[in-house]
Amino acid sequence: METLSIGHGAGGRLTEELVSLILGRFPGNPVADREDCAVLPGGIAVTIDGYTVTPLAFEGGDIGSLCICGSANDLSVRGAKPLYIALGVIVEEGFPFEDLARFMTSAGEVCRALGIELVTGDTKVVPRGQADGLFLTTCAIGKTGAHPGLGTRNISPGDVILLTSPPGMHGATIAASRYGLKVNGLSSDCAALWPMLETLLPLEGLKCMRDCTRGGLGTVLCEWAESAKVGIEIDETLIPWDEASISVCDLLGLDPLHMAGEGCAAVVVSPEEAEAALELAKNHPLGKRASIIGSVTEEHPGYVGIHTASGGTRLVDKPVGEELPRIC
Amino acid sequence: MNDTRQRIALLSKALDLLTDRPIKVMEVCGTHTVSIFRQGLRSLLPPSLKLVSGPGCPVCVTDQGEIDAAVSLAGINGVTVATYGDMLRVPGSGSSLMNERARGRDVRIVTSADQALEIARNEKTRLIVFVAVGFETTAPSTASVILDAHRDRISNFTVLDLHKAVPPALEALASDADIDLDALLLPGHVSVILGLSPYGFLPERYGIACAVAGFEAEEIMLGLVEVARQIKEGRPRVASLYGQAVRAEGNPFARSLVDRVFEPGDSSWRGLGEIPLSGYALREEYSSMDALKRLDISIRRTPPPDGCSCGEVLRGVMTPRECPLFGNLCNPSHPVGPCMVSGEGSCAAHFRFSAGGDDPWKR
Ligand code: SF4
Repeated sequence: METLSIGHGAGGRLTEELVSLILGRFPGNPVADREDCAVLPGGIAVTIDGYTVTPLAFEGGDIGSLCICGSANDLSVRGAKPLYIALGVIVEEGFPFEDLARFMTSAGEVCRALGIELVTGDTKVVPRGQADGLFLTTCAIGKTGAHPGLGTRNISPGDVILLTSPPGMHGATIAASRYGLKVNGLSSDCAALWPMLETLLPLEGLKCMRDCTRGGLGTVLCEWAESAKVGIEIDETLIPWDEASISVCDLLGLDPLHMAGEGCAAVVVSPEEAEAALELAKNHPLGKRASIIGSVTEEHPGYVGIHTASGGTRLVDKPVGEELPRIC
Repeated sequence: MNDTRQRIALLSKALDLLTDRPIKVMEVCGTHTVSIFRQGLRSLLPPSLKLVSGPGCPVCVTDQGEIDAAVSLAGINGVTVATYGDMLRVPGSGSSLMNERARGRDVRIVTSADQALEIARNEKTRLIVFVAVGFETTAPSTASVILDAHRDRISNFTVLDLHKAVPPALEALASDADIDLDALLLPGHVSVILGLSPYGFLPERYGIACAVAGFEAEEIMLGLVEVARQIKEGRPRVASLYGQAVRAEGNPFARSLVDRVFEPGDSSWRGLGEIPLSGYALREEYSSMDALKRLDISIRRTPPPDGCSCGEVLRGVMTPRECPLFGNLCNPSHPVGPCMVSGEGSCAAHFRFSAGGDDPWKR
């Protein structure tokens, strides 16, 4: 019997298979729109996400801040202001009260800063061994404003790709702690993107935004290229790399383009407004390292290419399963 | 244009001038393969230079029967299998360690042999089997933890010893007329341990040009320029471009560690078959740490999956794209052979990063 493997949750090709299996069993055609959140009639935006992370607290954040930032970001990238949150807590018997309180404090702090209200929730305590400490699920609800139609279908050749911050910092931080590496200056980028992305919304040439979480920047770009049937070319030397994350990836043999970020967005904007978008992003602390990293082409539809630091060209692909560290 | 790009463009031009006839170069090491693909270097090579990947991806050359043994070990109650991450997805004849883990077997990822020994120290009730794979670069660290475990009498630590030695495999390739290699790009880190002399037979007996090179794009291009020049001048030799780190005699300390724990033994390579004295067998003194003996499991020969051409790919006689399964039946989500599994496998690299020199945009 075929069973699920951890790779089915890693955000790459295996995850697609899992998602198709689920969606295919529902009425309507939920497969059509695979954006980060759904926009319902009346501009109501909804998203839901489950959070499991080992370790529960990491440099730059913890599961509490992560569960709010993550869902809020899924709304923000579609131009929806996060307003309400519903929270599901599944906690294992024996879990320290003190830790739970600490994580809820950090979740509450993010909500306070963004003006998000917690409106409903659920708690379940399960017997020891049935949950890895603590699982959180958040459903975020928001409202679209100036730019209700942001999405993949707007992407067209000639558009410019902007990245708001270094890719892969969260993933690299988690990988380092899991495999026992200590790297100076390494920290997750876990942050709520709304305050920065909000400033981009007035731009008429704004086409589409995505936070580069599971599967990383590479996955976001591949999904864009595939669903908009365009080519995408990026330049490795224009990506604002984070040194510490890169050294983790080098040591473990992981691809930084496949590592998750939790406060990093890729933005597609018309060439006319690219500079304006860059400046707006740079004006916000979260976007101070923002950079234009490439463009959308008519050639090579469905493929993403990267011009490497050596001057060569190669394809960028989605990760297949869990990114595993290599041998030597 | 930045400096690196400029320097590499120059090297690419030099390479073009030096290759006036078709030449076939094998990059032996999986780390080279990945670096070449990840940097898109194939798009910078002259069409007359054919680059093929060799048997230097430790995961890829691990024989199917060896994986089966690891899978059997993982299935024994009380056993914890610890190994390097990219071993998990390699298919055996029936299952993989990843599958076993999904079924609830205790399979853990470690990034060093030390970590495996740590598990044994901390969890006295489990019998730890460290699946030790790799070449000259990883054998010393396995040797060192075996010595530690022996000294500290850690009785719940064992090793499934699958280590392999690079030079005998190169000899097998060099002597194979089908393969017809002009040059080898040799891995810097293996040479740091071995030195240069174990490679001497390649130019002397087989006329193969050799360059030992590092893993950065520029170092790889320099290595290629070096072998192209040797070929043009008709004077094959072993040149080290890895600088100070490679001494002619290698690293005697690491080698003595390995010698204390291992002795040469026969080993089965996926694709290449059994190569005499190409493995590192545990010496009698440490046989109590031999997982196979301790748990009475043997490594059996099993036929490769139908249509799998990994053997041909690992010997460089077939390109991944020439395998009839490539891309359709065999792809990274559903790998048939190990070359598609490992991050360092040449099929996976071809699939993920490009078609090769002529058109990087085609899969
Ligand atoms: S494509 Fe698959 S089956 Fe064919 S050689 Fe490569 S790994 Fe083996």
